[in-house]
Amino acid sequence: MTQQSERGAQSQPMTRPLEGVPLPELERVPDYERGFWEGTQAGELRIQRCSACGLFRHLPTPMCPECSSLDYEWTTVSGRGFVYSYVIVRHPVHQAIREKEQTPYNVCVIELEEQADLRICSNVLHMAPEDISIDMPVRATFVPASDDPGVVLPVFIPVAQS
Amino acid sequence: MTPNIIPADTNGIRDKAAIVGIGETEFSWDSGRSELQLASEAIKAACDDAGIAPQDIDGLIRYDMESNHETLLTQSLGIKNLRHWESVSYGGGAGNAVVGHAAAAIAAGYANYVVCFRAANLRSGVRLGRARGPELIPGGADSFAVPWGSMAPAHRFGMFVRRYMHDYGATSRHFGWVAVTLREHASRNPRALRRDPITIDDHQNSRMVVDPLHVLDFCQENDGAAAIVITTAERARELRHSGTLTLIEAAAQGSGPRNDGIIYRPDLAVAESEHTARDLWARARLDASDMDALMFYDHFTPFCLINLETYGFVPRGEAKDFVDGGGNIRFDGALPTNTHGGNHSEAYIHGLTHVQEAVRLIRGTSTAQPPHKTINRALSCSSVAQLSGAVIIRRG
Repeated sequence: MTQQSERGAQSQPMTRPLEGVPLPELERVPDYERGFWEGTQAGELRIQRCSACGLFRHLPTPMCPECSSLDYEWTTVSGRGFVYSYVIVRHPVHQAIREKEQTPYNVCVIELEEQADLRICSNVLHMAPEDISIDMPVRATFVPASDDPGVVLPVFIPVAQS
Repeated sequence: MTPNIIPADTNGIRDKAAIVGIGETEFSWDSGRSELQLASEAIKAACDDAGIAPQDIDGLIRYDMESNHETLLTQSLGIKNLRHWESVSYGGGAGNAVVGHAAAAIAAGYANYVVCFRAANLRSGVRLGRARGPELIPGGADSFAVPWGSMAPAHRFGMFVRRYMHDYGATSRHFGWVAVTLREHASRNPRALRRDPITIDDHQNSRMVVDPLHVLDFCQENDGAAAIVITTAERARELRHSGTLTLIEAAAQGSGPRNDGIIYRPDLAVAESEHTARDLWARARLDASDMDALMFYDHFTPFCLINLETYGFVPRGEAKDFVDGGGNIRFDGALPTNTHGGNHSEAYIHGLTHVQEAVRLIRGTSTAQPPHKTINRALSCSSVAQLSGAVIIRRG
């Protein structure tokens, strides 16, 4: 279901995360979210997991939505998954994206292999937007945000399909 | 499971309340006046339509995004004894829900005349389609989306649309027929902001903003206000529109799991408002075949298809065929849909104009009044991907 760009030509792939966009203020994020960012700083994708029933969850929350346990741990996952859905943003809505001419860019919802419907929002790098497709396998990699190297962003790159 | 706790025949508001007045300001790109001014003008117009004075109002229900709080309005409108007030959360999600709350307040006897309203400078003031919020995010859903560029409603809803297209085979061209039809309706409506007719090719050739959404898939961002006056069915018989009662037959709100941030919902191609639809039909003891018209919340055109399926007008996956060519959803078609032009072409007042249009259809005063059938019942339903509301308006 890939849509062609307006010009019918291939757009440039993203090679790094967006610059100049709002970032999390790590000193202020709640305790139940901090493990995610500590994981990316260590080059790992850590997802919150219920200590009682083992359910992974993202967005992070204080309580398990299934068994109501307040106990959780941060579990390093494989970083492998597939593109569940995506958009190609062609019109900038943020000043830094407009001024730095960062369109087009993609935003992808990645479903992680560890659990059905376990998804995170990210970008797919090194692939023209027109070539991104649903179900495409990807794996995580980690890039410090250019505006705050303390914030390390998980992004995804395509895995060659066998 | 929670849904089964509510008995199917629970409908404490059935026909207890009536919409007796509708009013609005002009819709514009720059109103040139305050949101309090807009609210006051729209509420006065709705009171004039009802045949009551603003001072008669004793209940106010606003959207929680609304800047006009109760004290501002009691001051401006001259309300002497406000007995009941509420704010309902979300933008589009509060659409229709405010009317359901008003009907409940009337049925409970909390107030005599309840006004629902929305007034905002959503174009000349803070635009919802622009990135907003702090440059440093203190956690929460935005902190897991904005750093990757998911910053605007179209980015989140576009994920829904893409997945829906993938799972059910709908294409941009199907969305285009919705745009063409809504614009045709707006071309007949002097209130509408966008009145120049468009073709399916205009839609397909329009600028791609957030692929898969063209610019002609988007609603307007505009200034303006709308208001609705609701009172008891008995009192409605004494007022200006006593010849055509427009009763609130049933209302529902609904949400599903994991809806913070939209994209984490269990099946992103299925509308969260399936919960709203299920409860609405159970309470009303009706189904889609009983509706003569559909007013759906068109923040983006694809949600016409998704609403048609969610509320059971067509089986899941078949809305693309139903909207193809536009004939079925035209004002003179099988299911007159957004005959005012909707958020897409009339104006974006967070769904309140859709309830107003349902009232006009029942009164017979729409500018795109269906020539081939009497509108006895209309469904007005709000956003499909977040907490949502719906009401059934019927001829009394």
